Amino acid sequence: MRRPLVQRLTAIFAAAFLLPAAAGCGVDEDDAGLVIYSGRNEKLVKPLLDELEKAVGTTIAVRYGESAELAAQIQEEGGKTKAGLFFSQDAGALGALSTKGLLAKLPQPSLDKVDPAFRGGAGDWVGTSGRARVIAYNPDKVSKAPDSVHDLVKPEWKGKIGYVPTNASFQAFVTGMRVLEGDAATRTWLKGLKANDPKVYDNNLKVLEGVGEGEVSLGLVNHYYWYEQVAEKGAEKIKSKIHFLPGGDPGALVNVAGVGIVKGSDQAPVAQKAVDFLLSEKAQKYFADDTKEYPLAAGVTSSVEGLPPLASLDAPKIDLGKLESLQETLKMLQDAGMV
Amino acid sequence: MTDLQITGLTKAYGPGAPVLDGLGLTVPAGSLTAVLGPSGCGKTTLLRIIAGFLRADAGTVALGDRTLSGPGLHLKPERRRIGIVPQEGALFPHLSVARNVAFGLTGPGRTARRRRTEEMLDLVGLAGYGDRMPHELSGGQQQRIALARALAPEPALVLLDEPFNALDSALRTGVRADVRAALRATGATALLVTHDQQEALSTADLVAVVRGGRVAQCDTPHEVYRRPADPWVAAFVGDAVLVPGTADRGAADTVLGRIPLMDPPGVLRQGMVLLRPEQLRLTAADAAGASGTVTSVRFYGPDAVVTVEVDGIDRAVRVRVPGSTSARPGERTGIAATGEATLHAASV
Amino acid sequence: MTPADPVPQTDPAARPTGAPAPAGRLRAGTRPPAVLLVPAAVAAAFALLPLGYLVVRSLERGPAFARDVILDERTAQLLGRSLALAAVVVAACLLLGISLAWLTVRTDLPGARAWSVLVTLPLAVPSYVAAFAWLSAFPGIEGFTGAAVALTLVSFPYVYLPVTAALRGTDPAQEEVSRSLGHGPLGTFRRVTLPQLRPAATGGAVLVALYVLSDFGAVSLMRYDTFTRGIYTSYRASFDRTPAAALSVVLVVMTIALVAAEARTRGRAGHARTGTGTARPAVPAQLGPWRAAALAWCAAVTAVAVLTPLATLGYWLAVGNSATWDPGRLLDTAGTTLGVAAGGAALTTLLALPVGVIAARHRGRTAALLEQSAYAGHALPGITVALSLVFFAVRYAEPVYQELPLLVCAYAVLFLPVAVAGTRAAVLQSPPVLEDVARSLGRSPLRVLREVTVPLAAPGVAAGAALTFVVCMKELPATLLLRPTGMDTLATRLWTETGTGSFAAAAPYAAALILLAAIPSYLLGRHRT
Repeated sequence: MRRPLVQRLTAIFAAAFLLPAAAGCGVDEDDAGLVIYSGRNEKLVKPLLDELEKAVGTTIAVRYGESAELAAQIQEEGGKTKAGLFFSQDAGALGALSTKGLLAKLPQPSLDKVDPAFRGGAGDWVGTSGRARVIAYNPDKVSKAPDSVHDLVKPEWKGKIGYVPTNASFQAFVTGMRVLEGDAATRTWLKGLKANDPKVYDNNLKVLEGVGEGEVSLGLVNHYYWYEQVAEKGAEKIKSKIHFLPGGDPGALVNVAGVGIVKGSDQAPVAQKAVDFLLSEKAQKYFADDTKEYPLAAGVTSSVEGLPPLASLDAPKIDLGKLESLQETLKMLQDAGMV
Repeated sequence: MTDLQITGLTKAYGPGAPVLDGLGLTVPAGSLTAVLGPSGCGKTTLLRIIAGFLRADAGTVALGDRTLSGPGLHLKPERRRIGIVPQEGALFPHLSVARNVAFGLTGPGRTARRRRTEEMLDLVGLAGYGDRMPHELSGGQQQRIALARALAPEPALVLLDEPFNALDSALRTGVRADVRAALRATGATALLVTHDQQEALSTADLVAVVRGGRVAQCDTPHEVYRRPADPWVAAFVGDAVLVPGTADRGAADTVLGRIPLMDPPGVLRQGMVLLRPEQLRLTAADAAGASGTVTSVRFYGPDAVVTVEVDGIDRAVRVRVPGSTSARPGERTGIAATGEATLHAASV
Repeated sequence: MTPADPVPQTDPAARPTGAPAPAGRLRAGTRPPAVLLVPAAVAAAFALLPLGYLVVRSLERGPAFARDVILDERTAQLLGRSLALAAVVVAACLLLGISLAWLTVRTDLPGARAWSVLVTLPLAVPSYVAAFAWLSAFPGIEGFTGAAVALTLVSFPYVYLPVTAALRGTDPAQEEVSRSLGHGPLGTFRRVTLPQLRPAATGGAVLVALYVLSDFGAVSLMRYDTFTRGIYTSYRASFDRTPAAALSVVLVVMTIALVAAEARTRGRAGHARTGTGTARPAVPAQLGPWRAAALAWCAAVTAVAVLTPLATLGYWLAVGNSATWDPGRLLDTAGTTLGVAAGGAALTTLLALPVGVIAARHRGRTAALLEQSAYAGHALPGITVALSLVFFAVRYAEPVYQELPLLVCAYAVLFLPVAVAGTRAAVLQSPPVLEDVARSLGRSPLRVLREVTVPLAAPGVAAGAALTFVVCMKELPATLLLRPTGMDTLATRLWTETGTGSFAAAAPYAAALILLAAIPSYLLGRHRT
């Protein structure tokens, strides 16, 4: 039959056209005092940004997306960007915008709240929270976790390691190793790891489950996944433990999420307030308690039980902004047959 | 009413032989002219150029004193006032019969349009069918509606593109007569494109035989049949019998005897004498004149065609005889010709 | 009277020779009228916007840099992987699409009508959801196999739908003739039916191939490295738009080559019925002892293509503890999604109309160029198209930047071919002579379009619009970048929820997306021409 289809579709289209008017389309950014491009997931930061709105005293509009894609969007927008603030999931995207000169210099008092290791070399972005790479292990199978990722290429760990090669944090860790130890050493390590036949998981949570259930003995993960599991299920139900690597091992890399003020924006004064809010005790506590990350601003410590203080970690010293050179890392991972 | 004049029409699709090669044709006002030719002779191209769907490479098409196509000139189809009746009718399947017929009526006044629509339906004998949808009509009815639709805006010319092809033969004769009557009643000038010689001869006032992109002959059906321009035309419009002959003072001497010629032979002395099978008759085997052997008898009811190997020539001739013939294959028979014939160059 | 032989027997040499059959039915040599040409050119220019942007971007660091990126060994490798995936998925889609079309249209398959609806439902499943479902069910499936399975099972309706329409339009008499000439059912299918289905099947296959080339969701979840993944990597890993742009140019060039090749295979073969009147409905083939196998095939395809993702969603809901979803928000989001998808489908269909009509009715360089241009954006990853629109909008159309109109435009650029293919197929089904008749009755080309071409093609055009509607609903990367700030569609919500592993919270959005997209899919399945 011909007509009914046409009529039905017309009706659907007509109805659908009317709906958005009723549904509304959120905050109009033109009315907003501050537009934030957030590469951090809405689920993670929405409550904090609601607080931020109150703190800066003007309406804010938040555009969520992937950090890298938002960075590309800001580059494409050039001087006409709508963004006042870029809130990135990782340091690399901030480093890329910094290199292109698209971020405004932050005032020194704001920068000084954070350790120089966790802010941009040019002083145009600052870390707001940190996450540490750790080794998760199953105490029933392993009495003591290795102290260096270099031990993982030893034959004793063959088939006993779980990891997520596609995970951005793993790739950042490999990039960190390249910065620290050079490409040749990193390539050798990757080949050694691959030769040890590690088990590939979809995501960090699955690695933790695998470790807990004894599928593998060790797993390479970010610290906060373990603390989230503990918070959700209770410490007694979590069979895995985590180990923070000592001695500035590349496997102890601490990466950050951070913010930068987009250059040329007339929202700079409000954006500045927003940066200060994100480095305030209230916001830092939010990262510590709700996302189980490390607060980075001086004077704030995490209340998460059992989490070693950031200052106690022996993280490798590298310029996080340089973690933007992921392309070469990916090529290595591809060459090693990992992704 | 207006004449259709076509001169020097040329059209080629890409390199190679042109489809139309300087075609010229005049269709007198109020006549029904058939364009007859085998498939691929260019008749559909001709029709599409007249209607304005195609541009000619060269030549002109004029309707009365209006030039429709010419050098640097191409009137759009919708400005030509030329109706078309395509094969299978091509009624708009999404419109009722009445709306199909009224499709070309753009004048003001709904009542006027409705009256004209009813007039047209009446003209084609389908009054009261206006509310039906095309798929509810038979093939013949669809064809008549297609004609009504074409005639409704009183076009200067109607083009009929093999309109009876899709109909079975019993229906065809009736629809053909109806269409002819309707065209007569409106006095429309019409061009009928067909490859069916019977249809052309029985329906049209004039028949233009087209071959290789040119008009080989244009005349009344009677003349085209009786006095074909060449053996190809003769064979295309009917069955032809060719025997060698020598012209001599208004007649030709052949193996079938001396046959009077319609036209003076001019310079031609030797040639082929063209006869129609119904001009031949079978005579007694021992009669004076030509004789031969019957090789086959094809029976059609009212008449029959007997093929005879004539002594003295290397080809068989066909003879149309009454259906009551007693000829049988293998028999000897006499053969004789009546009436006038035409003489053609042997090389054709 | 005696029926005389139409062909003269007297002298065969005198028969006309060499006159080529007129190609009048295809309107060779006639230029499309301005009323079609101008809007079609606008549509084509629209679709070419990303290419313009990509050329600017890829030459940003000089032609030598772009050349190095394009000629890199890795580029060729990725291209090979993408093409291999596309080839396998296309082959699988042809197998599924044609076999299911034949079973549902031409046999006495029990419940054929219901099956014809069910097998179009996979269209509603976003590729990333399908991939996720398959990975959850079979973790070992990742890589080439997983990507091929997931992509095949969401895209075979692109072949099924046009082939179904073509099967309904072909004259069963031709198959009967073939049977009478001693060919068995299989031989007849291969020698008579299949060639007639070729234009429909190749058209669908091109859409499938381009879909595979542009897909990022499924291949990234399945960890199969493709060309598109290479483009994303360039953005995500090195924050560099120049190599991404150079690679995207390669993708556009390949797309146009693919479409041109497809146009070539269409050739001059006519695929309309040559008989008179309307086609008799075909007598359904008796499946006999094969009935059970046929049923099992349909059931298996439906189960793996539709039930796997649905079961996964059910599993998410059952085991997850993040199910703190908000029905009000779901409803709002669904409304917004319907709105933008409807806008996208409407604009896309409108732009596709003149291009589709020209593609169906005209031949020649202009027509080919217009149709091929329309496809230019289709194989590009959404991110690239989105960035190109960012580029143009901030320069020349700032008022609409990050507003609905721009998002709707992005959908049009991305999905124009889906609607063009639908329109073209629909217009091809109605005989051009109807338009000639309308012209001869005094109608201008515009009015012919409005009163004859469009009404007759309306069901097919509507089907194309419905298909576009479905793909707009599922779109994610361009939506993320171009949506008005703060606006959410079901796809972006799904992205947000799965981004933190809140699968139980994501499930209602995925379910709503599949169910809403299933409505037009359902109508498409029931749509019988």
